[in-house]
Amino acid sequence: MTVIRRYQVNIISFLRIIKALIVSQYALMLEYRAEIALWALSGLLPLIMLSIWSQINTDVTSYLQNIDLTKYFMSAFIVRQFTAVWVIISFEEDNLKGLISPYLIQPVNPFWRYLSSHIAEQLTRVPIVILICMLIYFVSPNMIWLPNIATLLLSLITIFGAFLIRFLLHWNFAMMCFWTDRASGIERLLLIPYLFLSGLVAPLELYPETLYKLANLTPFPIILSFPAKILAGQAVNVLNGFLIITFWVLFLTVTSTILWRLGVRHYSSMGA
Amino acid sequence: MSVMSIISVRNLSKNFRVSKKEPGLIGTFNHFFSRNTRTIRAVDDISFDIQHGEIVGFIGPNGAGKTTTLKMLCGLIHPSKGLVNVASYIPYQRTSSFLKQITLVMGQKQQLIWDLPPMDSLRVNASVYGLSDTEAKNRIKELSEMLDLGEELYRPVRKLSLGERMKAELMASLLHRPSILFLDEPTLGLDFNAQVRVREFLKSYNKKFQATVLLTSHYMGDINFLCDRTIIIDKGKLFFDGSLKELTSKLSPFRSVRLELTKPYTSEYFSQYGELVEFNPYYVELLIPKTSLTERLSLLLDNLPIKDLEITDPPIENLIAKMFTSNKDVL
Amino acid sequence: MIVRKLRFINIINIINQFWGTSIACEMEYPINLYIESISVIGNLAGSILILKLLFGEGQELGGWDWARSLIVLGFYTLLEGFTISLLQPNMKRIVNQIQDGTFDFVLLKPIDSQFILSLRIFSPWGIPSVICGVSLIIFGLSMINWSLSLLLISYTIILFLCSLIILYSIWFIVSTFSIWFIRVWNANEVLRSVLVSGRYPISSYPPVLRTILTFVLPVAFLTTFPAEAILGQISYKILILAVIFSVLSFFASRIFWKFALRFYTSASS
Repeated sequence: MTVIRRYQVNIISFLRIIKALIVSQYALMLEYRAEIALWALSGLLPLIMLSIWSQINTDVTSYLQNIDLTKYFMSAFIVRQFTAVWVIISFEEDNLKGLISPYLIQPVNPFWRYLSSHIAEQLTRVPIVILICMLIYFVSPNMIWLPNIATLLLSLITIFGAFLIRFLLHWNFAMMCFWTDRASGIERLLLIPYLFLSGLVAPLELYPETLYKLANLTPFPIILSFPAKILAGQAVNVLNGFLIITFWVLFLTVTSTILWRLGVRHYSSMGA
Repeated sequence: MSVMSIISVRNLSKNFRVSKKEPGLIGTFNHFFSRNTRTIRAVDDISFDIQHGEIVGFIGPNGAGKTTTLKMLCGLIHPSKGLVNVASYIPYQRTSSFLKQITLVMGQKQQLIWDLPPMDSLRVNASVYGLSDTEAKNRIKELSEMLDLGEELYRPVRKLSLGERMKAELMASLLHRPSILFLDEPTLGLDFNAQVRVREFLKSYNKKFQATVLLTSHYMGDINFLCDRTIIIDKGKLFFDGSLKELTSKLSPFRSVRLELTKPYTSEYFSQYGELVEFNPYYVELLIPKTSLTERLSLLLDNLPIKDLEITDPPIENLIAKMFTSNKDVL
Repeated sequence: MIVRKLRFINIINIINQFWGTSIACEMEYPINLYIESISVIGNLAGSILILKLLFGEGQELGGWDWARSLIVLGFYTLLEGFTISLLQPNMKRIVNQIQDGTFDFVLLKPIDSQFILSLRIFSPWGIPSVICGVSLIIFGLSMINWSLSLLLISYTIILFLCSLIILYSIWFIVSTFSIWFIRVWNANEVLRSVLVSGRYPISSYPPVLRTILTFVLPVAFLTTFPAEAILGQISYKILILAVIFSVLSFFASRIFWKFALRFYTSASS
């Protein structure tokens, strides 16, 4: 009995910490709104790709006849907005500034600090993305549509799942900072499979068979293609998708926990 | 004035507009929609002259306007009002010939390349200032002897100690042999030995090249050692311009008297003799007006079992701190 | 404002020092060589794959056949090398220096601040892109039995130089804004995201976008036009236009910089 109660108290105080972190980070992110708006604008790639794909003679490719390209790339644009992750760069910067040691003393794992700052950033992005969509609507009305509530809810959940996977993936690599001063090069390397294997620049179904299968072995399609298809209202195997999300979240949590422990041990043995 | 001064400042003022934000989420939201700005007068109607070869200390609390004044003198900031003339140039035009005569050293900021040895930064600066190879070599040799730097010049900056880094920074800033030095907190964060080294170097540079030096520092030690003349500013206004000795006697008509006693006494006992600064039953520090010093001292010596006695001027830091916090009209 | 004249020999000496030290800096982190090389090859492979997909079973993309599209991609990669080596590191440095105050040191140097800020850093990590870009252009040309023409090559070089100047000027103007708004430093990222559209021939975009990418954000000048030049498909008019455009944009960046600097020096603290 007492064990359970203590556990509950811990959860409540933990949630309180998370809430406080998110609120304070949100205030901080509002200060950075101009910067965030520009980041949002720099996610134009899916729209550029859309404009090219829309010029392709669709008679040639049978797959393109069956899907709404506009909806797919617009969805990809929105999904990308809410799955932006920069934790490797943040962690590296904090490490160089010597902030990691004070973080390690605090009762909360820095993981939650970075996670809440990302969530706060996404909250700041909401009005910005709505604004961009309205702008697009004025320029070309047929690019914007209103999905139904069920689709919207399902999209929200899958986008969050996608964000979580991407965040955990980057968090795993951020642990490199415990061993080396410069880990941000890794960020560049992670960007390449993200660009070409997630479905950001072309629907994955157009890829050659083997590459398509290979891509599906990585977490990248589930980070973008899956939620984008749901938001675009395409028929997808939702259950299958959720199983994959669960798998990756669990897998990456386990690996990052191991890496964190090894990293902290290495870090403290270095006397930093 | 018969001699043309090298730096002359007349009625100099600088205003800044700043925006303010209330703390918390609501403050953030308000800030989002409407920005309250107000004007701050960072420097307020300051005038002074500095002669060729002088070392002048600039002191005042944080935010007093020292750095702003320094930046106006080297041409980084346009004055809002007033005239500045440095070596008969108008600083903010930043002409090449003017820039070759001055340097700015900032204790908190560095221009050395972090990942490389100072020697590389020195070569970059030599090329930027258009020095020939032999010229650069000679000056590097000369400065490194003065600063006692040797193999440190060949180690990456990130592996140098703070003191070594500051010395290398000074070298990079002085390679073009400027005749006017602006130094903003050059000894910030250095340990005592490094501070003393930097001080001594600046003094010898001043002697050797008849350079004019204007420096700000929070360490009275720097000012005491280097500057025959001190300019004090607070809240943008010029407060005092003269020697530190003059300042002490103006600020404090008191001497500090320290007594060591063989028997314990209570604090009330001493109030008749002067202002109590420090007290424990065997040790007393008193401030006694200079005018009545002799009579009170003889009374003390007569009435108390005194083991040891010391009379000094009160420390200048305390006096200045006292001046900034309390009675400003003392001057 | 008095113009600081530099003698040619001094310029060479200064650039030699600037680039020598910045290369030496990068050599402190040799792992970056592997990262950048993998990154370039990965990006190139991905771009070629996407190009292949865009071609599908078709024979052309906006009127460009496979070999000629590869040449456009080659120019894009070449341009990216230039961006990685010069534009990005220097522009990033401007913003950082304004943020941490070391920008003051730049202003106190007796040579032109735009010169220092634009050419202070040379990062060797753009070289893999340059090599890949040139190879891709040569590969594309060999596929169409292109016969060596010095005239066409010199046109192309002039046009490409013009496009570099245009790109530099736009980038510099955007970076200049950080004198007022430090927090909009990543406006350059927006610019970069638009530049990605230069991977494909300009004619493969919808007509409205084509106009924007030619005249508002001159992406067409950056990749499509040089590719057309080497293929001998360009008119003198475009060449003259590019020269005028580059000279104008360079002076615009210069005037804007002087203007912004006045602002900095009258407002900074």
